[in-house]
Amino acid sequence: MVSATSSINFAVIGHQDNWESIERFVNGLRTSEQEKLPVDKIKNIFPFIPPRVLFKVKVKSITGSEINGIYIDTFISPDRLDTKYSKANIKKVTQAAACAEKEGASIASFGGFTSIILEGNFNFFANNGTKFTTGNTLTAAYIVKGVETAARQCNINLANSKLLILGATGDIGMACVHYFKQKVNQLLLCARNPHRLEKLANRLLVEKVNTKYHASVDEFLPEADIVICVASAIGLNFRECKKNVLICDAGYPRNLGKQINDNPDVRLFHGGMGQVRLGYYFNPDYTNSIYHYPVPGIAHGCILEAMVLAFENKFESYSAGKGNITTDKMEEIYACGLKHGITLAPFHNGNGLWTDQKKSN
Amino acid sequence: MNSTTNTVEEFNVISDVFSQAITGELVGMSNFASLTDTIDDPHEKMEAVEHANSERIHAEVFTAYAKKAKLKVNINLNGEYWGSVRKQFLSYALQKDFIACLIIQEVMLESFAVSMYTDVGNALGGEAGGLFLSIANEEKEHLEHSSDILREEMRKNPSDFINKFEEIHFKCMTILAQFSATTDLRGHCGVCNDDCMKGSLHHIGLDIVSLRGNAMALYAGALDNIGIPGEKSTVWLAQLPA
Repeated sequence: MVSATSSINFAVIGHQDNWESIERFVNGLRTSEQEKLPVDKIKNIFPFIPPRVLFKVKVKSITGSEINGIYIDTFISPDRLDTKYSKANIKKVTQAAACAEKEGASIASFGGFTSIILEGNFNFFANNGTKFTTGNTLTAAYIVKGVETAARQCNINLANSKLLILGATGDIGMACVHYFKQKVNQLLLCARNPHRLEKLANRLLVEKVNTKYHASVDEFLPEADIVICVASAIGLNFRECKKNVLICDAGYPRNLGKQINDNPDVRLFHGGMGQVRLGYYFNPDYTNSIYHYPVPGIAHGCILEAMVLAFENKFESYSAGKGNITTDKMEEIYACGLKHGITLAPFHNGNGLWTDQKKSN
Repeated sequence: MNSTTNTVEEFNVISDVFSQAITGELVGMSNFASLTDTIDDPHEKMEAVEHANSERIHAEVFTAYAKKAKLKVNINLNGEYWGSVRKQFLSYALQKDFIACLIIQEVMLESFAVSMYTDVGNALGGEAGGLFLSIANEEKEHLEHSSDILREEMRKNPSDFINKFEEIHFKCMTILAQFSATTDLRGHCGVCNDDCMKGSLHHIGLDIVSLRGNAMALYAGALDNIGIPGEKSTVWLAQLPA
């Protein structure tokens, strides 16, 4: 049961997606007298650690209110962020959820891959005092708002554009499809599961949405003006891209940057990200190692959804299941965030802020 | 080789596994016996003697099997790691520090025993495996019993308790971390018959990374169960030798 005296408004359940930041984190915890551990030794320890609270979080709203939260890491190995490790990963996510409840969190969101594992199925936690959300609605909202804003900045007219969505049949992918289906010239849809893809495309064709679909992204990449990637994508051939294509990388792990390899014809940003205008504060502060962004206050939409719901005293499973994200709900949670100074993040990627964002940040 | 092992390598590693288990049980027996001097309450004192006796029985059961299977057993309570842990335990027992003794024996050593016996039991199967699994279950009760006492102790004065636990963690878990590292960080344990058995565990379907990882995971879970904040225990785990 959630403790009546709990001062924890929200919890965020997450994971690390690369060994470099884990190496910085673990060695940052070691004293100056202790030898620094190489990644191969860290790999022998890190994945065995059970889910636990790593730090406390304080967030301030522009309304003057303040909320307290915790970050719970699942300690899922970055090498195991794949559905083939579902059984072990579900166990870790379930333990992390139990941890959130034990700590008395009123609402908890499943960050990154942890929500993919459960596919928004919260039946496991039906009797818990803590309410759970995937955080996917605000993530999707930041993706679509980000694409619209970035397109304007890059002088891309949405109405004339072909929009490629990788991972179109996932929860966030479908939300993007429905948001953009009447706003772009053509939807190009890709997903791993051909049956689900065909089903989605057929529904859109009935609605007379100009849609093409294919399991292979190589078919569509050369003709796309904008790409939204909400799936792990490896081996894409960006040499075939249109000049000045706009790419929103919102997959887990974000791995498009390395594949694009500084191609000057591509404008890439990490999508699904928001920013807390008055900032969030970690205790202990590990932002130099595990949650490091080019400017302060940036966080994933899924994490920010828990914060927004906590600010709004809306302790409910706002995002649950798959395919339930509506455009109205995206607009609602996005507007709630704005009330508290939680906005779309400045455009950035692995190389830092976009050049034109540096002036305003 | 004997009738229950197929190869010389398997015989050697199983002999070493039994050597470690028997030595560990005898260290546990000695620790519980020393613990009786730290307790004033007669009922608790009797319970400590009972626990010492249960560890003795475990050692005897392992020894009986090893004898039947004609394993080559080496018992050494003064080896590099077992001797050091025992020394740490005694330093607290001499101060009549019952809580510290409980933390070392029933949380740290039992976490390792329960986890490693379970892994060994599952890997060996048969009569030997069954033996390890049934003893792991009994040791688990010790771990759970101590958690209740330590949770209560934590409730009384969280800050003092965490500081005390931290000191003991670094004194004792450092030894267990060195002992269970992929290579012996302080040299030969003095219990394995020949070379360190860690490099031969694959002959019985085990590996030291998983054995150690699972043991650390159980220990971390025990810390959570007692109420040590995750922010603290994560730092403690990260600062151990590897």
